[in-house]
Amino acid sequence: MSIEDIFLEARETILQCDQERAVRLAERALAEGYDPVEVISSGFSYGIRQMGELFGRGEVFLPQLIMSSEVMKAAVQILDAAIIQGETTQYKGTIVIATVEGDVHDIGKGIVVSLLKTQGIQVYDMGRDVSTVKIIEKALEVKADIIGTSALLTTTLMSQKKLEDELRKNGLRDQFKTMVGGAPATQRWADRIGADAYAEDAAEAVTKALLLLNRT
Amino acid sequence: MRFELLAEYELSQIHEASLKVLETIGIHTTSERFKKLLLDNGCKEEKGRILFPRHVISNALKTVPREFKLYGRNNSPVLEIGKEKAYCQTCVGTPSMMDLETGEKRDATVKDLEEYTRLADSLEFINIISPIFPRDVPQEIILTFETATLLRNTSKPLSICIESSRELPYILELLALAAGGKEALREKPIAMLPVSPLSPLEYGYDPAEALIDVVEAGLPLGVEPCPMMGSTAPMTVAGIAVQHNAEILAGVIASQLIKPGALVTMSSRATFMEMRSGVGLWAMPEMGLAGAVMNQLAKFYGIPSAPGGFCGASKIADSQSGYEHLYNALMEALIGSDIIGSAGSLDNALTSCYAMLVIDNELSSVVQRTIKGVEVTEEKLAVNVIAEVIETQSNFLEHKHTRKHLRAGELWVPSLGDRQTYEKWADKGERIEDKARRIAKELISNHPGLTTSAEVDAQFERVLERARKTEIGS
Ligand code: B12
Repeated sequence: MSIEDIFLEARETILQCDQERAVRLAERALAEGYDPVEVISSGFSYGIRQMGELFGRGEVFLPQLIMSSEVMKAAVQILDAAIIQGETTQYKGTIVIATVEGDVHDIGKGIVVSLLKTQGIQVYDMGRDVSTVKIIEKALEVKADIIGTSALLTTTLMSQKKLEDELRKNGLRDQFKTMVGGAPATQRWADRIGADAYAEDAAEAVTKALLLLNRT
Repeated sequence: MRFELLAEYELSQIHEASLKVLETIGIHTTSERFKKLLLDNGCKEEKGRILFPRHVISNALKTVPREFKLYGRNNSPVLEIGKEKAYCQTCVGTPSMMDLETGEKRDATVKDLEEYTRLADSLEFINIISPIFPRDVPQEIILTFETATLLRNTSKPLSICIESSRELPYILELLALAAGGKEALREKPIAMLPVSPLSPLEYGYDPAEALIDVVEAGLPLGVEPCPMMGSTAPMTVAGIAVQHNAEILAGVIASQLIKPGALVTMSSRATFMEMRSGVGLWAMPEMGLAGAVMNQLAKFYGIPSAPGGFCGASKIADSQSGYEHLYNALMEALIGSDIIGSAGSLDNALTSCYAMLVIDNELSSVVQRTIKGVEVTEEKLAVNVIAEVIETQSNFLEHKHTRKHLRAGELWVPSLGDRQTYEKWADKGERIEDKARRIAKELISNHPGLTTSAEVDAQFERVLERARKTEIGS
């Protein structure tokens, strides 16, 4: 198989959510001696980005999108194992994301996470009801580029401001970009608290994240 | 009315499936108190989950009251919960508001909470009032503040969603002050207090603790999870019903273990997702269909039901919101519903709208009229009247039977909808949304004002002051 054929088929397995074929293809690519990094970036990752774009345009359903990230994960796992140390998969950036303290609404954040993953961004999903301190600790630990917070309650929205304040207080504000989301958040709110970006839905969250990473 | 969505065997399939879920999958909780309550009363723990044996379920279900009364103040009508009267309740918790002047969406404020409550107080077919969530209040005491504001601006019964036990003592104190004492409040509850566990089947610390404390306070509890088809519940209407029923029953059972005979409603909120974008939907038809299934289950158990129904995905008060709200609410009412919530809401329960509340008042009126059904008596069959009109070659307009039944209210009278001739209507050409907005303004400015006595009001102020000091420290 030529490398072009491998790329094309890899993209196809993602678009068709065909895990079995994706895994077989990954194995075959390795057996034929192709560079796993290249197979991921121009093959599978390319497919998943297409999928994300299709979703953004409303042409693909959410369950398909999630399914395709699973397919991606399975294929990448095989390829990653063969990657020479130090030459790991290239991410466009790293984001730490959480639903803020006192808030258990995590459905929307989950969708944002799935979509970010499809776009080659490394995501650390901390779950729901997470304190500001823990979020900052994690962001420092993984050297995140972006911290994203989700708040669905007017009562917990204040935690997004608290994050900005804490970062500033500890002289960390310049180390991270911040993104806020959730139903009661607005662009105005983001401006007021000094967050770097706001997104109304998952598709916009990806666009804004890529913008923050200078990767559009 | 005798409508059924599911055949008896289908209903019992769902019931059996829910029991199986409770018996074999069970629930999870992070509240030790809740866990102990269940385990001490015959539930079993397996792999960190709490399972409900059949006898625990069936014994608990035996003690749930079929009916209870919810009281207003200042001669506001008493509501008979359990008689399937489809009482209409306003939407809780919307963080946004459609501005009454500009018609644009903006943050909800304290002024909105006051005026919106007064509007709901003035609308005949809005029966229970729940608070919107203003942003310009210290959020640490938002529920306390809301409770006081509701009591100051309406005499109707309230429904106050309890997020955690933290503010509950203040809320109970305010309610007792308004009701004339703790004992009076328990005897004649003026509010019901729903709590929201998480789907699927998770009783988080806050809702679990709040559930126990509400039951112990002796006020009517609502068990109100909010699963979403395809996201936090199965993708099928039958599947969400199975899970939703199981998670609600778990709360109902717990309430009876705390206090046999505790007042409780099954407050279903079976929502779904727009799979192209991930937007959470309270739209039609699935919300109404699933709500109807949940009502049929509640009826089967003999437990009052309180689904959300006056809701939809439309962003403004328009024809879409009109048909969505009517579909969902009527669907649920036809099967048998005690309370139907979400009135005045837009955008899947994210926004409240003055005009929409006036429209929902009209919809509630026709829904409540519909479920009264059609009375069939000798007098109403009117065979003699037909004979007389034919014999005398006159018409029905002249017959006294017509006058009599007109006066007796045979015809439903809209308080909003237009029924003029075209010419008369075209004179102003007023659209229903504009008319609703005009009525809203009139009702708000004509509201008599404070619904609490000066004395109670002063006591409220002291509770608020204390809450402020304790919860915010200023
Ligand atoms: C489902 C739900 C619940 C479930 C949550 C289950 C779960 N696992 O998440 C349960 C039943 C547990 C629940 C509980 C409560 N809820 Co609730 N809930 C909802 C509901 C119906 C849907 C939320 C949802 O999932 N939407 C779908 C997702 C996909 O949309 P989304 O979250 O907005 O996310 C999108 C965007 O916002 C954005 N986004 C989200 N996060 C992020 C993050 C970043 C970084 C970015 C960039 C973008 C982004 O992208 C997402 C995808 O497009 C909303 C109403 C609504 N229509 O939104 C009420 C709602 C949010 N809840 C409300 C309330 C009041 C409560 C309770 C207090 C009720 C109670 N009595 O207990 C509790 C609070 C619990 C707590 N402490 O958090 C109110 C909020 C009121 C307010 N102003 O604060 C709402 C508006 C409903 C209402 N009218 O009452 N709720």
